[in-house]
Amino acid sequence: LLTAKSKEPEKVTDAKVNRAPPSPHSPSLGLRNHHAIQEAAGPSHVAINAISANMDSFARGRTAILKKQPSHMEAAHFGDLGHSSVNYQPQEDRSRLSKTVEHVLRDNVAIPHYMHFMEHQGADHLVRFWLEAESFRSTSWSRVRAHSLNSVKHSSLAEPVPASPGGSELPELAQHTTNALTRDSSSERLAAHPEQRDSFSTEAGLRPGTPQAGTPSRQAPSQTGTPYKALSNSTLRDLSDKLMKILEKEAVTIFTKYISPDAVRPIPITEQIRTDIVAKICGEDGMVDPNCFVIAQSVVFTILEQQHFSDFLRSHHFCKYQIEVLTSGSVFLADILFCESALFYFSEFMEKEEAMNVLQFWLAADNFQNQLAAKKGQYDGQEAQNDAMILYDKYFSLQATNPLGFGDSVRMEIESNICREGGPLPDCFTTPLRQAWTTMEKVYMPGFLSSNLYYKYLSDLINSVRADEFVNVSSPGQGGPADNERSSSNASEAPVGLAAIKILKNFDEAITVDVASLDPESLYQRPYAGMTFGKVNEMGQFIREAEPEPDVKKSKGSMFSQAMKKWVQGNSDEAQEEMAWQIAKMIVNDVVHQSNHDSPGKATKVQNLAQYSLCCVLMCGEWLQFFSKCFLLSVCSYDPTEEPKDWHWPSQ
Amino acid sequence: MTAAPYNYSYIFKYIIIGDMGVGKSCLLHQFTEKKFMADCPHTIGVEFGTRIMEVNGQKVKLQIWDTAGQERFRAVTRSYYRGAAGALMVYDITRRSTYNHLSSWLTDARNLTNPNTVIILIGNKGDLEAQRDVTYEEAKQFAEENGLLFLEASAKTGENVEEAFLEAAKRIYQNIQDGSLDLNAAESGVQHKPSAPQGGRLNADSQPAKEGCSC
Repeated sequence: LLTAKSKEPEKVTDAKVNRAPPSPHSPSLGLRNHHAIQEAAGPSHVAINAISANMDSFARGRTAILKKQPSHMEAAHFGDLGHSSVNYQPQEDRSRLSKTVEHVLRDNVAIPHYMHFMEHQGADHLVRFWLEAESFRSTSWSRVRAHSLNSVKHSSLAEPVPASPGGSELPELAQHTTNALTRDSSSERLAAHPEQRDSFSTEAGLRPGTPQAGTPSRQAPSQTGTPYKALSNSTLRDLSDKLMKILEKEAVTIFTKYISPDAVRPIPITEQIRTDIVAKICGEDGMVDPNCFVIAQSVVFTILEQQHFSDFLRSHHFCKYQIEVLTSGSVFLADILFCESALFYFSEFMEKEEAMNVLQFWLAADNFQNQLAAKKGQYDGQEAQNDAMILYDKYFSLQATNPLGFGDSVRMEIESNICREGGPLPDCFTTPLRQAWTTMEKVYMPGFLSSNLYYKYLSDLINSVRADEFVNVSSPGQGGPADNERSSSNASEAPVGLAAIKILKNFDEAITVDVASLDPESLYQRPYAGMTFGKVNEMGQFIREAEPEPDVKKSKGSMFSQAMKKWVQGNSDEAQEEMAWQIAKMIVNDVVHQSNHDSPGKATKVQNLAQYSLCCVLMCGEWLQFFSKCFLLSVCSYDPTEEPKDWHWPSQ
Repeated sequence: MTAAPYNYSYIFKYIIIGDMGVGKSCLLHQFTEKKFMADCPHTIGVEFGTRIMEVNGQKVKLQIWDTAGQERFRAVTRSYYRGAAGALMVYDITRRSTYNHLSSWLTDARNLTNPNTVIILIGNKGDLEAQRDVTYEEAKQFAEENGLLFLEASAKTGENVEEAFLEAAKRIYQNIQDGSLDLNAAESGVQHKPSAPQGGRLNADSQPAKEGCSC
């Protein structure tokens, strides 16, 4: 019944965990490749010559260096095609904003959002089962480990062990432990492999009743005899029994909740698997297999991955999660570069900063290295060299089409990496990549994070959430949320919120605003009075007089991120206001700085409009409505033909 | 072609996909630089280029991600499909194999992009009529069966290159107008910039195309 399947979902050893799995078409050249590389020794000299032809005549010294084999290039490395570099992992290779199922299930920040989504899908029991089974598995193994170590401790305390020369002590102790628990074949195995914990692929070895030969403990010579065996045997057996009982109880709890046919919401597994689980929980010798749920877990994992995950990534729950990450107080360059939607905005920013080349280089070289690393040493060295030469010609050579200003030492390093016998390794461009990364991180990212583009990105995320929350009524989504549900606006929804969405969505149709008809006074006219317990300050900001939460702790982070955080976590009103305030400020600043005002009246009009909007909308708490209004007003007031004038916020 | 900042109201993200050697990079280069690169090396991973064009009276910037066609880059380039508003799927009319592989590219595109991503099929190298290996009609039929726009073009002569990008952009804009694409959602592949030079009226009718097609 059982197959020795690996427990975890496939461990990806690639540099980029969030990307799609490596191409299945990687040719596995093996021995042939070795010969091919020897043949390629010729062309690499051609490459060397080509490179040296690019160099100035007085730089012959460089050529000499290239032609000399680097000292680390011993015969052992010849033709290994990067095997020694397979473990190369750039430090940053993931965005917290891009997720796979496996990441989500192990991310405490993401799990609540994921759970909400799955509740909407009516499939949250799958996630709960997976999480509980996983927790059971890992804590059970910890307990077993602790138990076996305790057993060892007890054994050694029972009688002083004669000092043995060399390093055979551990196997001896393990041997003693083995003897002590000798009746129980499973626990024997568990105790005999105290160091073999983290690879759970030895399921076959844990089947009760299957003795395993050739364990390290057995190979160790046992000289000390077993006079204390009888003494500790029963104690240890008691401990073992207790442990097993605890495990059994927990396993049965999970079983009852999710696996038993009587369960309220059983997970969809076959009878065969169910029987197998039963067998593993109620083992012949009273042994509980900590891996008993693993097969069921992988079935559930597959369902999660194939049936629900892409919908989750399109849902507002995922947007909420992303917002939470982005307002957590620290956003890393990795979060931006490895997340496609953030990268969209960042690319635009970099283009405006005229720094596209840096980003382009980083993307290309990183892609090159990733696809090479994914081959795990089985790649065509000539092909890799050709690829690398394309990047060299574009960014490094003295006649580079897109020079980035890398120093000579970097260029030389790249040259020797590329011209390496056997082709470049997957860490060929690491140094310039690191430099480009640092440049983006230190020079450009701070600007990006305080740019309008970034706020626009955040507000787009928020928008995705708000719109979905207005319209989505817990029916499982079919396809992307960005279609039918939203365009068929429900008249039954709160008109204020709906109007706001409509304005933003169908910008062209829903709005016809005539600048001349804008009357600040009319903005005051409201269907109901809402101002209570506070006043409006000169900025138009509504200040509560009665603090609803007088002793709320100030958390770290900017006002903006605090507000966002509160909003994401559900404490909406205050947060909405704060955020609306910030965004308003940003927009008005933006417009006014760009707009070419001459007449004071116009500047004042913009200011007044902004303030009135802020005031009105904040009173009723609909930040979205405010946002669109302010947006509109700023758009309408923008007049590029007038002369510039300085304007600044009045001091508060 | 750098434009004055804030000169455009929208940014659309495009991707270009297809077998190696069909002319993806040349199409991009022809579109952004109005030049034909005879000897361009193959693309490593991805590159991107931009250009501003006028769509229904609106200035739209296209941010175009040109992906490598080599199979070895397939895994890394898949990451860039996400959040694309438009996709150009390119084959070479003189090489049948590139046409046959379209279903594989289309599968990737459908799986990895949004449901309302606009996909346009491009039969490139239209100038090499003598070596044609795929007829217009059969490609047109394939496109219709799969709900794709279709054009034959030539990156070399420039024929239909602008139209290719423009047709997709028009369809995207139409989707925005009728609400099926929420331009304020992240991952829509559309950025909407609020600094439009005109007032609130953004209807196509009320805006005569002043400068003609912009560069």
